[in-house]
Amino acid sequence: MIFLAVFFLSLSSITFEVLLIRVFSISQWNHLSFMVISIALFGFAASGTLLSILDTRKKGWEKRFSSKGSVAFFIILYTVTAITSFTVLNIIPLDYFRLPFEPIQAFYLLSVYILLSLPFFLTGLITSIAYSFLPEKTGFVYFASMAGSAFGAIIPIPLLPLFGEGRLIILTTLIPLVLIPFVRLRMPSSQSERNDMQKACSRNKHLAFIASGLVIAFISVILISLKGGAIIQVKPSPYKAFSQILQFPHARVIESVSSIRGRINNIKSPYIRFAPGLSLKFTGMLPNQWAIFKDGDEQFTFYNLSHQKDASFSKSTLPFLGYLLSFNPEHVLLLQHGGGSGIPCVLASGARKITIVEQNPQIARAIRIHYSLPVVNQNPRAFLARSNKRFNVIHVENWGTSIPGAATLNQEHLFTIEAFTEYLKHLTEQGILIISRKLLLPPADSLRLWATAYSSLRSLEIKNPESHIALLRNWDTFTLIVSKQSFQKTSIIKDFARNQNFDLVFLQGITKETANRFNIFDEPYHFLEIQRISHAYRSSTEKAFFNDYLLDVSPQTDIRPFPNRFIKWSRLKEIYKSKGSRLYTLFMSGEIVVAVVFFEALIISILLLVLPLFTIPKKEKKIFSHILYFLSVGAGFMFVELFFIKKYILIFGDPVISFTVVISGILIFSSIGGFFSQRLGHKSLRYTLIVLFVFLILIFLGFDTIVHRILGFSGIFQYIVPILLLMPLGFLVGFPFPLGMRYLLKSPGQRAHAWTANGCASVLTSILAAQIALSIGINAIIAFAASAYFLAFLVTVHGFRGSKNPFSFCSRHFQGFFKLL
Amino acid sequence: MKRSLLTFIILLLLPSILLAEIQGDSPKYKHQREEMVLKQIRRRGISDEKVLNAMAQVPRHFFVPKKLSYKAYSDHPLPIGEGQTISQPYIVALMTQYLGLTGSERVLEIGTGSGYQAAILSKTTKEVYTIEIRKKLYERTSKLLKSHDYKNIITRHGDGYFGWNGAAPFDCIMITAAVNHIPPPLLKQLKNKGKLILPLGNPFSYQNLVLVTKRDDDYTVKQIIGVLFVPLTGYALDKK
Repeated sequence: MIFLAVFFLSLSSITFEVLLIRVFSISQWNHLSFMVISIALFGFAASGTLLSILDTRKKGWEKRFSSKGSVAFFIILYTVTAITSFTVLNIIPLDYFRLPFEPIQAFYLLSVYILLSLPFFLTGLITSIAYSFLPEKTGFVYFASMAGSAFGAIIPIPLLPLFGEGRLIILTTLIPLVLIPFVRLRMPSSQSERNDMQKACSRNKHLAFIASGLVIAFISVILISLKGGAIIQVKPSPYKAFSQILQFPHARVIESVSSIRGRINNIKSPYIRFAPGLSLKFTGMLPNQWAIFKDGDEQFTFYNLSHQKDASFSKSTLPFLGYLLSFNPEHVLLLQHGGGSGIPCVLASGARKITIVEQNPQIARAIRIHYSLPVVNQNPRAFLARSNKRFNVIHVENWGTSIPGAATLNQEHLFTIEAFTEYLKHLTEQGILIISRKLLLPPADSLRLWATAYSSLRSLEIKNPESHIALLRNWDTFTLIVSKQSFQKTSIIKDFARNQNFDLVFLQGITKETANRFNIFDEPYHFLEIQRISHAYRSSTEKAFFNDYLLDVSPQTDIRPFPNRFIKWSRLKEIYKSKGSRLYTLFMSGEIVVAVVFFEALIISILLLVLPLFTIPKKEKKIFSHILYFLSVGAGFMFVELFFIKKYILIFGDPVISFTVVISGILIFSSIGGFFSQRLGHKSLRYTLIVLFVFLILIFLGFDTIVHRILGFSGIFQYIVPILLLMPLGFLVGFPFPLGMRYLLKSPGQRAHAWTANGCASVLTSILAAQIALSIGINAIIAFAASAYFLAFLVTVHGFRGSKNPFSFCSRHFQGFFKLL
Repeated sequence: MKRSLLTFIILLLLPSILLAEIQGDSPKYKHQREEMVLKQIRRRGISDEKVLNAMAQVPRHFFVPKKLSYKAYSDHPLPIGEGQTISQPYIVALMTQYLGLTGSERVLEIGTGSGYQAAILSKTTKEVYTIEIRKKLYERTSKLLKSHDYKNIITRHGDGYFGWNGAAPFDCIMITAAVNHIPPPLLKQLKNKGKLILPLGNPFSYQNLVLVTKRDDDYTVKQIIGVLFVPLTGYALDKK
C-alpha cells in the first residue's frame, strides 16, 4: 500500500505544482511561479523535519504511520488540503501590487503560502515514512516516487485543454483517493495478526474513510459545477492587458483554450488598436482589429484587411523603412513572437512571397485562417538551421511583456549573436534585417542589439560593420536595420525619418543635431551612448565599456540568452536611487523577486535543517556528514535537470516543452536507476558518483556541439534524440539518493532528516540555477552539478569512516572544493 | 435608563462621527496635503503657483478607496480597483504644469479614472472635458465630481480614442491611459500650437511624460523625464 501511496501522491502533488505554476502565471506574473517552488520546498522539507523531531521523542513511529489506516488518513488529508488551499487562493483578494500599501495583503500572502504548502507537506510525509519504514527497499520507494512524479508532470499536457486549470486541479487532487477502497485488509489468519490488524484499520474506520472520500468527491463536483465552476475559475490579473480590454464595452471572449504552453484567449472588441511605431503624421484610420492574449498578456493582434490599402497605415510605422530599402522584396521571412503588426507591413510592401514562422500552434493556426497565408509552426531557430533559402527581408517582431522587467528571466534565442549570424547568413546579398522593440531609458535594449549586430557582422568578417547598421526611434519604440551590404543610399533613410517625424539614432555620418529633432530628450541619450559603444568597438575597448556602463547591455549568446535582463547586482544601489529610492519599484524585476524568494527559501531551509539538531541526543550527533551528502546529491540532481531544461529551450524554442520533456524524461530514467540500485552493494555508491562526475564533465565540454547538431534535425528526430540523450545521465542520477539512504544512514530519524536536506537542496538549487544562468551562463550549471556530486563523493570517502570529528574532513577538503567551483 | 439613552445616542452618532473623519476634509488631511505639496511637489521643482494651489486645495483622499484614504497623500500611485490607478501626486502636478495653462483653456482628458486629475485641471483652467470608457468608473466618478461641486468639469461615457468632436478644438489634451500610439483623431482635434501630454511606463514603476506640440503639419514630441530618471541618465552621461 505504501508504495502505491507514494506513487499516487507524488503523481498528484507534481501535477498540483505544475498547475499552480500555470495559475500563478495567469493570475499574477510568470516570475512569481518561483514562489510555487518555494512553497513545495516548505512542505516537503518540513515533513522530514517533523519526523526527525518525532524520532527523538517517540520510537517506532515509522511502523505506526506506515499502517494502512494512517496512510489512508494522510491521503484524505492531502486531498482536503489541496482542494481547500486552491479554492482559498482563488477567492482571497491577494493583489501583489497592493502589498506595499495594504498590510492585510501580507496576511493574505502568508495564509496562501502556508495553506498551499500543506499538500506538499503530506506528500513529503508519506515518502519520508516509506524511506524510514523500508530502509532495505529504498530503491523501490525511489522508483515509486520518481515514476509518480514523471507521470504527474505529463498529465497536464493532454488534460489541460479538456478541463482548464481550476477543474483539472480539483480532479487530479482526487487521484490518490483511488487507494481508499483498498485500505481494508485481507482476513487475518491468526489471533495475533487479527489484533494487529484491528489496530491498523477497523471496519468502522474503513467505512469512515470511504465515506470521507465520497464526501470529498461530492464537494468537488459542487465546486466544479456551481455557477459553471466560477469559484475555481482562474482569472488573469486585473493589471494585464486582457483584463483591461474586457472592461471596455462590447468586448467579448470568443474562445478560451488552456494548454501547458499557456492560456490563449481570443477577444473581439472595437477598442483593440495596436500600432506601435506609428508616425504622428499618419492621419487616417486604423483597420478593425481583434486579438489573442496568452496568459492574459502577450497580445497578438489581427487586422481585418479586406483590401491591400487597409494595410497602408503600416507604411507610416518605423519597421517599414526596412521594406523601403529592399524595394518590392521577392521573399520575406517574418519571425513572429507576439505583436502582429509585422504582417500588415509585409502585405503593404508588395512582397511576392511571404514565409511566416510562428512558434505557438494556436496563433499559427489563427494567422493561417485569418490571413490565408502559409505559416510554419516551428521554433524559428530550428527553422533557420534547417533552411537553406535566402530572403530579401527578415523581420523579427517581438515587443516583450506589458510590464518592463517582468520578462527578465525569459530565455530567448532570437536576439543572441548566434541568432543574428543565422539571420545574416539567410539574407540575399542585398538583404535587410528588421528588428523593432520598445524604447527604454536609460538606453539598454537598443545598445545591446546594436552591439549584437556589430559583433555578428564582425564574426562574419564584414569590414566596417557600422556602415551596415541603422537605428531609428519614435517616442516609445526603436527599429534596428541591418543590411548585408553597406548602406549606399542613406538619403532613403534620412528622408523617411524626416517625412515621418522619426529621429535617427545611428547611421554612419549623422550628427547630434539630427538625432534629437522630433522626439526630443534633454540630450540625445541613445545617440550618445551608441557613439560611445561604437568608439569602444573601434578601439577594441568594448569590454571596458560594458564593465563601466550602469546596466548590463553586453550582447547575449546562446550560452547566456537573456535579452531582457539588464540589472548589475554590483550597481543595484544606483539603480534603486534612479527609481526614486522606492523599494517596490525594484520588485518589477523578475530577477529581484527570485533573489528575494531565494533568501526566504534559504532561511526556511536553515530552520528546517537546524531544528531537529536541538532534539537529537549528543551520541547521535554525527549528522553533518549525512546532511552534506544529501544536500550535495539533491543539489546535483536539480542542477542536472535545470541544465537540460535550459539547453533544450534552444532546440524546442519553448520553455514549457523543454520543461516537460526534461522533467518527465529524467524522472522516468532516474526511477529506473533507483529500481536497479536495489541490486547494488554499498561499494557501488562511490563508483556511481565517480562515473557521474566524469559524465558531467564530458557534457560540460561537448554538449554545445551536440545541441547545435540536433537543431538541424527534422521531424520526430528532433524529439527522440534529446530524449535519448537524457537516458544515461537520468539513469545515473537515480542511484546516489536511494543508495545513500540504504547504506549511509542507520535510523528512521536520520532518513527523515536526509529527506529534509534533499528537499531543501533541490529547491534552493532550482532558484540558484536561474541566477547562475543569468550571470555566468547556462554551461556553468553543469559544472556546479559535477562539483556537487564530487562533494558527495568526498563525503562518502571521508565522512563515514567513523572519525570522531565529522567536521575534520570538511576542513581538509572544502578549500579544494571551492577552488574547483 | 439614562445610561441606556446615552448608549443609544452614542451609537446613533458614532457612524456619522467616523464617516466625517473618513470623508470630510479634516485638519489632519489638510496638514498631510500641505506636506505633500511642500515635500513631494515644490521641492521637486514644480513652481507654477496655480498648480501648487490646486494640489493644496483638492482633497485627494476623496478620490481614493476609503480603505486606502490614510495613504492618499503618500508619494506613490494607488490602486482604485479594476486594475486602475490614481497617479502619484508628483506626476499629476508635473503633467498639469507642462500644459502651461493660463486659466482660459479648454482641456480634454482621456481616461477620467478616479477624477482627481480632472479636479486639479478644473482649478487651473476654464473648462475640462473628460471621457471614461469604463461605465462603472464613469458613473462613480461623475457622481463624486458632482457631489463636490466641480461645475466646470463635463464628463462623458465613451471611447476617448475619437476625442470629443462636438467640443473640439482643444487647447490641450491629456491622455491618462497607456497607449502604444497617439490616436490620430486626437491630433486632429488639437489646435495649432496646442499641447497633448501622456505618461509613459508603468504607473507602479516609473513614469516619464511625453509632450506633443502641434506646429502646422509637424509634431514635436518632448520627452519629459520624470525626476526619478535624472540621476541615472546624468550618471550615464558623466561617464562619457
